[in-house]
Amino acid sequence: MAPSITRREALGGAAAALVIASCGGGDPAPGGGPRPGSGAALLGSLLALEHAVVAAYAVCDEVLRGEALRNARAIEERERRHVTRLQGLIRGLGGDPPSGRSPEEYARTFPRLRTGRDALRFAEDLEQRQLRAYLEAVAELPDLGLRSAAAEIAAEEGEHLGTVRVLQGLPAAEGPFVTGAL
Amino acid sequence: MAASSDLELLEDLLALEERLTSAYEAALRRDAIDPELGDMLLAHENAHVEGLQRALRDTGGRQSPRASVPPPELNTALRDRATFARYALEREAQAVATYRLVVAQIASANLRQALGSIMACEAAHQVALRNSLGDRPLVD
Repeated sequence: MAPSITRREALGGAAAALVIASCGGGDPAPGGGPRPGSGAALLGSLLALEHAVVAAYAVCDEVLRGEALRNARAIEERERRHVTRLQGLIRGLGGDPPSGRSPEEYARTFPRLRTGRDALRFAEDLEQRQLRAYLEAVAELPDLGLRSAAAEIAAEEGEHLGTVRVLQGLPAAEGPFVTGAL
Repeated sequence: MAASSDLELLEDLLALEERLTSAYEAALRRDAIDPELGDMLLAHENAHVEGLQRALRDTGGRQSPRASVPPPELNTALRDRATFARYALEREAQAVATYRLVVAQIASANLRQALGSIMACEAAHQVALRNSLGDRPLVD
């Protein structure tokens, strides 16, 4: 039986996705339309991360089965809706939403997933990173409406994270503060 | 001005968390929840209460500003584990909705992020409760 990926390897893959998302490496930055400080650039970073996560779930789907696959597909569908929502918000600020890379380009940066367990571990790391990114955005976005949208998506990411943990047989929440502390 | 508004928002959250804490304590006493799950949820809610009390003190508020009475539905919900799980699910969903509003509104950026981490925990509680009912962890 093929060895499962370690948490470090999963994190490496998630980190790669984050690098793709935040640094672009070909992802165009939001266009010159929005005013500086509008939040469009931050939303563009979140959108780039969402593109990478959608691609990651498509790769996870290849090794997941049964209930895990059904839930992963449900999460993937929600992530696609987040993509659409962020695109609308960026356009509303006069920006040009960044498009993602091809699935093949993303796949090259992900760890090799041999089992469903590998996929769920990878998904957990991705969801943690997404949640952290949205909560940082909630802290930084200048406009109440944008913060509301980011908070709404962050709550859904919290559910996704709980779901991929439960599917691994773990408690839904690792602790009372999912990222950070009060 | 902004500080007093933040105080009110934190007081609302504290009252909400205290209601959740009371509900899980009662459910554990009456065996209306699996003890392992109930202990975890209660520990999280207690940590949220402590964090909010600290945040209230730091913002210039008083500790435990409001007394609350357990809602009458709680007694009915305690009759069996499935009924309580559905009751708790509704309360957790309300908590997530309230945190979503507060996280966006509160003036302090640091508090926004920290309260968001509690919101994510409450969202995960919904997953845990659905799982305890044998439902799919994620619903649309």
